[in-house]
Amino acid sequence: MSRRERLVRKILGTATLCAAALPLSILIFMLILARPLLSSFSVSDLLTGSWAPLQGRYGILPMMVASFLLASCSLAVSFPVSLGCAGLIFGLTPPMLAVPLRRLVQLMTGFPTVVYGFVGVFLLVPTVRHLFHAGSGRCLLSALVPLSLMITPTMTLFFSDAFAAVPRPILLAAAAAGADPVQRFVWVVIPSARRGLAAGLVLSFGRALGDTLIALMLAGNAAQVPSGFLESARTLTAHIALVIAADLQSLEFASIFLCGMVLYVLTSCAALCAWKMRAATRKNSR
Amino acid sequence: MAYRRGFLFICVLSCILAVTTGVHAGGYDAFKGLEGTLRISGGTAHIPVMKALAREVMTRYPAIRITIAGGGSGVGIKQVGEGLVDIGNSGRRPTDQEISAYGLRLHRWAVDGVAAVVHPENPVRSLTSRQVQDIFAGRVTNWKEVGGPDRAIHVFTRDEASGTRHVFWKKALGKGAIRKDADVVPSNGAMKTAVATDPAAIGYISVGYVDETVQALALDGVEPSLENVRSGRYPVARGLYSNTKGQPSALAQAFLDLLFAPEGRRIIASKGYIPADR
Amino acid sequence: MKRIWPWAVRCGCYAAGLWIVSGAAGVVGFVAWRGLPHLNAQLLFGDVSARDALFGGVPVFDGLWPAVLGTVALVTGAVALAAPLGLATGIYLAEFSRGRLKEVLTVFFDVLAGIPSVVVGLFGFSVSLLLHKLVSPRLGPCLLVAAFSLMILVLPYVIRATQSALEEVPQEVRLTALSLGADRVQNLVWVLLPHSLQGIASGLLLAVGRCAEDTAVILLTGVVVTAGVPRSVLDPFEALPFYIYYISTQYGSTEELERGFAAALILLGVSVSLFALAYAVRRAVGSWALYRA
Repeated sequence: MSRRERLVRKILGTATLCAAALPLSILIFMLILARPLLSSFSVSDLLTGSWAPLQGRYGILPMMVASFLLASCSLAVSFPVSLGCAGLIFGLTPPMLAVPLRRLVQLMTGFPTVVYGFVGVFLLVPTVRHLFHAGSGRCLLSALVPLSLMITPTMTLFFSDAFAAVPRPILLAAAAAGADPVQRFVWVVIPSARRGLAAGLVLSFGRALGDTLIALMLAGNAAQVPSGFLESARTLTAHIALVIAADLQSLEFASIFLCGMVLYVLTSCAALCAWKMRAATRKNSR
Repeated sequence: MAYRRGFLFICVLSCILAVTTGVHAGGYDAFKGLEGTLRISGGTAHIPVMKALAREVMTRYPAIRITIAGGGSGVGIKQVGEGLVDIGNSGRRPTDQEISAYGLRLHRWAVDGVAAVVHPENPVRSLTSRQVQDIFAGRVTNWKEVGGPDRAIHVFTRDEASGTRHVFWKKALGKGAIRKDADVVPSNGAMKTAVATDPAAIGYISVGYVDETVQALALDGVEPSLENVRSGRYPVARGLYSNTKGQPSALAQAFLDLLFAPEGRRIIASKGYIPADR
Repeated sequence: MKRIWPWAVRCGCYAAGLWIVSGAAGVVGFVAWRGLPHLNAQLLFGDVSARDALFGGVPVFDGLWPAVLGTVALVTGAVALAAPLGLATGIYLAEFSRGRLKEVLTVFFDVLAGIPSVVVGLFGFSVSLLLHKLVSPRLGPCLLVAAFSLMILVLPYVIRATQSALEEVPQEVRLTALSLGADRVQNLVWVLLPHSLQGIASGLLLAVGRCAEDTAVILLTGVVVTAGVPRSVLDPFEALPFYIYYISTQYGSTEELERGFAAALILLGVSVSLFALAYAVRRAVGSWALYRA
């Protein structure tokens, strides 16, 4: 190993170390700044309590419920849609349609979230209000539609990658056995790509959980546990954006770091799960 | 030919110089020779005035940069106290605790009312304070109970950092409860937008923000007009404050002086507020 | 019964396709319908003439110009920070690390990629508070802090793009220069990097697009309503996505709302063209697109 190579290696290694320190330091910052809250309340109280800062209650349960509800419902909507789109792209429709669809889905990954929110405010909120005569129109449902629309393209691309990774011999064998394209898709492609599908699902869940602007602009932001889709709700992310305004020394301010920590832990769990699943797929295919 | 063009150029230049120096009004002279960045944040009711003033100052003195952010009164007080901005605006008087903890200096430059507002299509034009309290607490949930159409009431409120909320809560709601499912909007402008687009809505905004898109309600028979706010007959009123931490910088001082100078007062009045004396 | 279900599956797929197409058409159509009529020079420069604003240094107040420049400055800063760090890390991962270490590092960057942007913004905000307390009271949320936070957001893109581009270099290309006596550094600089330029470029383009559209990070790290054309990295700044958010919540007049729609149209156009360019530069971009929480 030449001296130059060692030098280059050292420089690159230092850069890598710096980059790898970032996710850790984010977690440490959250921990330190949430400490005032953690030292005066127990974690279980904070995670299961209600939000009433004037009465000295700093629980973030309403926000967690709203975040979970919104993320899982938008996933429930966009999963079948993505599966269908990925199926079309995979070959259930002639290339004349499949190729433009793939292009469109790729471009949709570039739609800014703030534009989804903007359109939601001026198109969806009035519509929801007129259709359902409930609330102000700012509710979970109004946030759900654009959010599911936002995560669908990336999920579709992820799924079509998973489909494309299905080994060709299996497909050919199925075709030789007389399976038509739909049968091959349902009985061969989907089962053998199931790990990839699960990984895409988990990552999309993390992404839906982490979206701020759509929830902030459309969900109404009332800090209560929502009891229906036409209720106003505040997600963890919107809570951070709203309460950043609080006094720096206050416990309210500390609570947003707790929210940040919850989001951090959940999304990194999602990333770890997805990585595990993909690792397992790689091993199987080898 | 070249000589004549040069002559023409000098003529034009001197004309421009003469005009620009002639235009200088007294209140803006204080900025002469100053430079740097003045950071302002806080109350959203202040923003229209701040923007107009910043525009006047920055057009005249390009070396000065004024940045304006919203966030609400709580943000203004907190950020100026922490030294993150030079001037922190608040739509309420900072508490004594805040003043002493941060060493704040208050500058109250306008008086403003906070009015309950509804959609213009709503026939309700006046409410008693009792009715307002009942509506915001959630004891009255339909407009027909207060003389309107048979429609569920949508209550809009502001976040806890809002000075508008603080004043309305203290003086109109008598520190009563605000229903938990009320929709939270982040600013006066947002409140106006929300109410203007929802026929069943009720909210509250700074009087300076009231225009034809929303209908301001009389409270116990008193219209929230500028005269009634000025005379004190309309009770839900407040000062608009700009706060500094200790002695303001030269730039901040010039800006605060401008708020009390005739030019500043004209702009304040044009935005729908009542200019106050120092 | 047997005839029906394949038909139903096909119909379901087409319905899904229709839903996504109509969703995209709805968003683009609505923004274009409301914004297109207001796209003109006045939108950018207000009542100042374009020449005065561009070359005369005349401040613009009623236009998008400062916000556009703010976004450009922000993107430039963030990518200038992310590119060297991301490239170096990507090269290290692809060429100099293997086994357990590589796996652990890859997981680290997967985690980083998944962190919601608002949490990254919160981190940036706390860093700025720290700087304010420790370094100088003049420091606070500003352009530099926002660019740094955005760098964290897009770093995983750049790393992943570099790493996978390098790893996809075919074995015979990889070995040729080595067998002719080049050392590993020479091989890297003269063979591997030029060979994976397309992949790296497309990763950088995605990073640019991501920086330009993100709102949550800058919301917490120093974006303001009025700041003028950016002058110093230590000043607060204006930005296009924040302008759109701000207008949606507090527009005061129809003109402001129209400007908001036009701004949304511009941002949508810029962002989509950046992504289109990135995909065109490198066709086989798939799952990276997921890294934008």
